[in-house]
Amino acid sequence: MKKIEAVIQPFKLDEVKEALKAIGIDGMTITEVRGHGRQKGHKEVYRGQEYNVDLLPKVKLELVVPDSRYEEVLRTLAFAARTGKIGDGKIFVYEVAEAVRIRNDDRGESAL
Amino acid sequence: MMTVGNRPSSELEDAILALAQRSADVDARVESAASAHFAGQPIAVLAVGGYGRRELFPYSDVDLLLLFANEKAPVENKERIGAFTQSLWDAGLRVSHSVRTPAECTEVHDGNSELNVSLLDQRFLTGDRVLYAALADRLPRFLRANRGDLVRNLGALTRARHQRYGDTIYHLEPNVKETPGGLRDYQLVRWLSQLREGGDSPQWMPQPLQEAFHFMARVRYFLHVHSSRDNNTLGFEHQDSLAEAAGVPDPAEWMREYYRHSRVIYRAALAALENSEAHSSSLFSQFRERRARLSNADFSVHRDRAYFRAPQRLDVEPELALSLAGFCATHGIRPSAEAAQRIASRLPQLREHFAEPQPLWPILHRILSQPHAVLALRVMHETGLLQAIFPELDPTECLVVRDFYHRYTVDEHSLVAMDAFLAAPDPYAGLRAEIADPSVILLALLFHDSGKASGKSHVEESERLAISAMTRIAMPAAARDTALFLIRRHLDLSSALQSRDLSDPATIREIAAAVQTVELLKALTLVTYADIAAVNPTAMTPWRAAQLWHLYMSNYNELTRELESDRIQSAEIAPERAAFLEGLPTRYLRTHSAAEIAGHMLLEKQARDCGIAVEIRRLESAWQLTFAATADRPGLFAAAAGTLSSFGMNILKAEAFSNRRGLILDMFTFADPHRTLDLNPTEVDRLRTLAARVITGKTDVRELLRNRPKPILPSRKARIPAQVSFDSTASATATLIEIVAEDRPGLLYDVASAMAAHQANIEVVLIDTEGHKAIDVFYVTKLSREKEADLKQAVEQALSPK
Repeated sequence: MKKIEAVIQPFKLDEVKEALKAIGIDGMTITEVRGHGRQKGHKEVYRGQEYNVDLLPKVKLELVVPDSRYEEVLRTLAFAARTGKIGDGKIFVYEVAEAVRIRNDDRGESAL
Repeated sequence: MMTVGNRPSSELEDAILALAQRSADVDARVESAASAHFAGQPIAVLAVGGYGRRELFPYSDVDLLLLFANEKAPVENKERIGAFTQSLWDAGLRVSHSVRTPAECTEVHDGNSELNVSLLDQRFLTGDRVLYAALADRLPRFLRANRGDLVRNLGALTRARHQRYGDTIYHLEPNVKETPGGLRDYQLVRWLSQLREGGDSPQWMPQPLQEAFHFMARVRYFLHVHSSRDNNTLGFEHQDSLAEAAGVPDPAEWMREYYRHSRVIYRAALAALENSEAHSSSLFSQFRERRARLSNADFSVHRDRAYFRAPQRLDVEPELALSLAGFCATHGIRPSAEAAQRIASRLPQLREHFAEPQPLWPILHRILSQPHAVLALRVMHETGLLQAIFPELDPTECLVVRDFYHRYTVDEHSLVAMDAFLAAPDPYAGLRAEIADPSVILLALLFHDSGKASGKSHVEESERLAISAMTRIAMPAAARDTALFLIRRHLDLSSALQSRDLSDPATIREIAAAVQTVELLKALTLVTYADIAAVNPTAMTPWRAAQLWHLYMSNYNELTRELESDRIQSAEIAPERAAFLEGLPTRYLRTHSAAEIAGHMLLEKQARDCGIAVEIRRLESAWQLTFAATADRPGLFAAAAGTLSSFGMNILKAEAFSNRRGLILDMFTFADPHRTLDLNPTEVDRLRTLAARVITGKTDVRELLRNRPKPILPSRKARIPAQVSFDSTASATATLIEIVAEDRPGLLYDVASAMAAHQANIEVVLIDTEGHKAIDVFYVTKLSREKEADLKQAVEQALSPK
């Protein structure tokens, strides 16, 4: 099993969810986060005053998928989240040792 | 597997009997276990809580109190207690037991008020009767002697619980036990009565309250049986099943029945708590009676509640109901149960009366402009008065629209949104203070989801319903257009937050073009904030609030940048009109109606004939001076501002425009604090003539201002330090100067004069006042760095206290 962690632009969330749903991936955890990579922050001017916006709003998606599907999920996710501009985000993939469905103690891929 | 006492009742109607039967079954089981493990020991076993009341729901905890003579006894009987509880667990009962002495039971436990409360429902089951008699003897005296403390603790517990559920009964998936208006509130009414009577259970409860209890008990019984656990959340799937069982095809309709019963319990609980607290605290009573002085010719105030002085007047004077709402809005006092009941009983007549088109807006506007406007709307909603005035809101009353994120019914969501609008923290609070008429936003929020019952696009339907309501109450066109715009566009910003790239200039340009003006942008941002915050208590995360603010700032910058950069080029309209409009900022077209533009064209014609034309007209709550001049010269704007100040007028807003053929068109919206113009109509002509003389340079404005009395400065702590900021990057052709300063008569004249003296050409200006604070934004023709520094110094000097 692989855990996929993707930090994406907030306005791409619906598109990404729809794309994952279309390939049968429904379960995921979503968190509102802030951060920056190479995009860095920028300055905003409001009524003549300057404001530094150094941490930009992003959305973090976390999902765990069977090994057999992770390449397809990765491709779908990256395609749906892409605008081609700096700030599109990152995807990280981790190995998962075990999964447990708390309700009935299912283990491994059947718990996903 | 169903175990002892968890048998489902065949019919829901049998639920109450089934609870008593289950209690009896469990009694037998407990007595048998006690005789097996406690025989001959000085231990008394008591049923407490719901079990004590013989209302033991299937799968609910069996609350037991094991009474011992002294503190050592439980230690000596540790093994017996363990064996006793284990045997009950093995029989399938979820036992929750506590071990106490009679002395511990008759102490006030501030940190564990639940113990004191549970003893109100205590019932002897088995064991040492002499030991129990010691408690039974002391308990009534203890309750009487400590009534005040116990009521206070019970009140604190109740308020904390209500607060956890947002102080409202209107949850989409309510908890039938804990939510306001749930079974716990029904018990509260009983407990408070018991405390008043020294522990005796109330012999009588009002019929609607009893019916509400039976309804709730049946629902809870159903939930426990069908969930096979202690589940009190009335989820959507259970609503479907219960509606089907009751023969109601639409679950939303069945939920209305639920809210009706819940409302009866909630009102009874609040009334009982207030009465008990008043009896228990003389200080509280004194405070409440202090408010009696607010009584007037129509309403008297007693114990913090408003009463009709002559209730029968309501029959011939339906507006009296609205006056009561106005009284609540002004003083933050709720109507008495009697006054509310009086309105509720006259609803058919009130509906008939308000169905006729009539100019109700001035009255509603007054209510919505008061500090406790939302309380008044809640009172109107609870009594049915709101729906009598606006039957368009009937379909969304107590309406459950199933949605994973929303927590409240549609009507409650709108009221929560109004609260959220008025309580929005910074930076949104600053934005709210800049809104000229917040009552329009409140009305827009009242109607923004009114079309949700239609089953089609709710935005269109909400707008249709709002048009019907606003036409009937004769809402003025400008306010109505703003409210309808906000209803029509209320989803635009949240949908942009969700699905648009906010860093893309095209997105911002598109939104700004749709929003049109800075004023509407501010209002729409606040409506969006309130709408999101009212979805559920945690919906407006700091992350989302920051996103929305970013969207607001980007659009604000786009709209203000456009002020000087985007000029009307040409239009496919009449040549005369096109020639007049050419070169004016696009904002001009968006902020002025066709009739106003026609008026300005007329002014331009007059100005071409005589060099100057001045118009003064009455607005709804202010005045407006507009002048058109064909020959520009330094200080025109300052001269007009100075003339108004010399007349004692307070400038609220000003705009300066010029078109391509050199017409200067400046507008000043001003307040007349002494009502000089209203009371002396001839002064309007004098002001017009004087303004024309000053603008054409025939009269020196400085002479006029010399005779004005000096303003009284606010206390040192309340003063607003003057700030001047220059931004030459915001636009390619203009320098933006923003001034934030203490507002005072003549301020605008001083600043504009300083600019004129430095040959700074004012292209566009936006003036706003916010309480004592003046916020002025000037666009002046691009300045060199040196000139910028000189002008900054001159403006700062103009702002320094005189």
